Amino acid sequence: MVGLSCGENHFIQGGIAQDLRCDGRKRLAYRPISVETGVIPQANGSARVRMGATDVIASVKCRLNFESQACCNLIKEKSRYILTAVQLQSQLLRSHSIGFRGRGGDELAAELSIALQRCLLGGKSGTAVVLMLVFFFSGAGINLSSLIVVERKICWDLYIDGLVVSSDGNLLDALGAAIKAALSNTGIPRVQVAAETSNNEQPEVDVSDEEFLQFDTAGIPVIVTLTKVGRHYIVDATSEEESQLSSAVSISANRQGNICGMTKRGGVGLDPSIILDMISAAKHVSDQVINKLDSEIASAEAEEES
Amino acid sequence: MEKEIRGIQLPLSQTQKVRLKKALELLQSLSLKVNVDASVVVADTITVDHEDGVLKGHGTADLNGEVVATICGVVERVNKLVYVRALRSRYKPEVGDIVIGRVVEVAQKRWRLEINYCQDAVLMLSSMNMPDGVQRRRTAVDELNMRCIFEENDVVCAEVRGFQHDGLHLQARSRKYGKLTRGQLLTVSPYLVKRQKQHFHHLEEFGIDLILGCNGFIWVGEHIEATDDMVEDQVNQSDPQVLLPGKNSVSLEEQEKSYTTLETRKYICRAANAIRVLSTLGFNITLEIIKGIIDLSLSMNLDIHDMLGSEFCVLVAEKEAERRSSNKKKR
Repeated sequence: MVGLSCGENHFIQGGIAQDLRCDGRKRLAYRPISVETGVIPQANGSARVRMGATDVIASVKCRLNFESQACCNLIKEKSRYILTAVQLQSQLLRSHSIGFRGRGGDELAAELSIALQRCLLGGKSGTAVVLMLVFFFSGAGINLSSLIVVERKICWDLYIDGLVVSSDGNLLDALGAAIKAALSNTGIPRVQVAAETSNNEQPEVDVSDEEFLQFDTAGIPVIVTLTKVGRHYIVDATSEEESQLSSAVSISANRQGNICGMTKRGGVGLDPSIILDMISAAKHVSDQVINKLDSEIASAEAEEES
Repeated sequence: MEKEIRGIQLPLSQTQKVRLKKALELLQSLSLKVNVDASVVVADTITVDHEDGVLKGHGTADLNGEVVATICGVVERVNKLVYVRALRSRYKPEVGDIVIGRVVEVAQKRWRLEINYCQDAVLMLSSMNMPDGVQRRRTAVDELNMRCIFEENDVVCAEVRGFQHDGLHLQARSRKYGKLTRGQLLTVSPYLVKRQKQHFHHLEEFGIDLILGCNGFIWVGEHIEATDDMVEDQVNQSDPQVLLPGKNSVSLEEQEKSYTTLETRKYICRAANAIRVLSTLGFNITLEIIKGIIDLSLSMNLDIHDMLGSEFCVLVAEKEAERRSSNKKKR
């Protein structure tokens, strides 16, 4: 990423302080988001999200997992056994722009994939919702039971991959939106299991090519990153504005207005009152973003079908 | 939703697509009359009079005795030289071009600037006016104080002096050249900025400065009078001394007082968005067109960020088509 001179930095900070950023946006305004679904035909679901010059692609691949015994984690929740049948691996492949060459790209990729994984799946213990400064699981993401084929034997594994085509700041938000769009585009093939097999044999499965089950993605959260520059914070920072950040807080919120995860980066400490302020701003912004994103996804899917 | 008309990436609705296509076709028809014969594609034969010895220049090749174009472009003939000029190529510096560059390195007695060319340009210390304005030999102390003049990542405006043995040399001997602060730098494709008489524009009614660099870097900023403000820092220094580059720890309040005023900032953002729209549409960037776009957006009372939306882009294309056709009719 190209450095900026003192004069340009001063100009950017002045803009943020006066609520008029370099491209005329207000502090809490997003760039226009455009969504395309079904960009990768071989994947079960895929989406491409553009926010200004930031361009990301997310794809979802499903695979049947016959060794459920090995991967299942029994989580008791309200007297129901849910097998976490999802293995989320979001691996960010290195983008080709200059700032990501060498070590920087790998570190950023690792950071983003961990943040996304925690946002959608979370740690192993999904019980107490303690607000720690770590991306966190609240079970509000995907309905995991929809991925079970045969209880305790066969389940679907989801592999979610993200690719940054070009970066102009705000990668985490764009990736979160892309994953949400890709999951709503995902079709899990219908599986017919041959009945009457004994417990230790592998059942025969017939994976249908025609019928697909859609996910219910209304519950998937959307990530909103608030970047603090000087005294004010902005949403959807471009890479020039991000170079000025003192700290950035990313909050994932879902449609009900619940916070599903939170993470902070940047070396400067924040006063707790500022964090609460940021959370309420993020909730307010995330409502608009969720509505916008849902309508974009719906129109993208309609376009794809037509 | 993302359909590309002529490579333009905008989410356009059906009616907007139709309007944009119409405007672009009108523009194309206006310009087609000019150079139909001269434009060539790769492997087109160039009609050449073989009796006069012909010099085959850039972009041509000899194939079976025929002169054939190797790139897509326009054929230019200068006396006996025949060459093909590409329409969209990298920036090619010429002597006297105004360019804007970013300092990448402070080296011995020179600064290296990145100017969107295949090499970095060199600005010699001797090609700069000294802060105290006196014409003198540059001493070792001057060399040590180079960072006080330009540091890394500074945006500098200069003029192309020529090609020397070690690269492209620039000079900044006038008051209007030098470091640019209080504004923003935009990058567009270099072929959109054509060489004109004036590249420094001061829009009085908005109070902003607009510098159109021939290399595709465009500066939009607050208007600063071309005075040697560096003189004030040094006026009390009687003896030459090594100065520390000023990383003043200015407090937040003082910084806030020195921000650009909101009014000027609005115009700066409008001008910047106008240039972004022109860059998206691929139109040439001149002062007249920029002023037209700003006036159009002001007359529509358009929110500054909405200038980057698809509706405004289509309007700009239509207006440009209208303007060019009316210009043609006048002639």
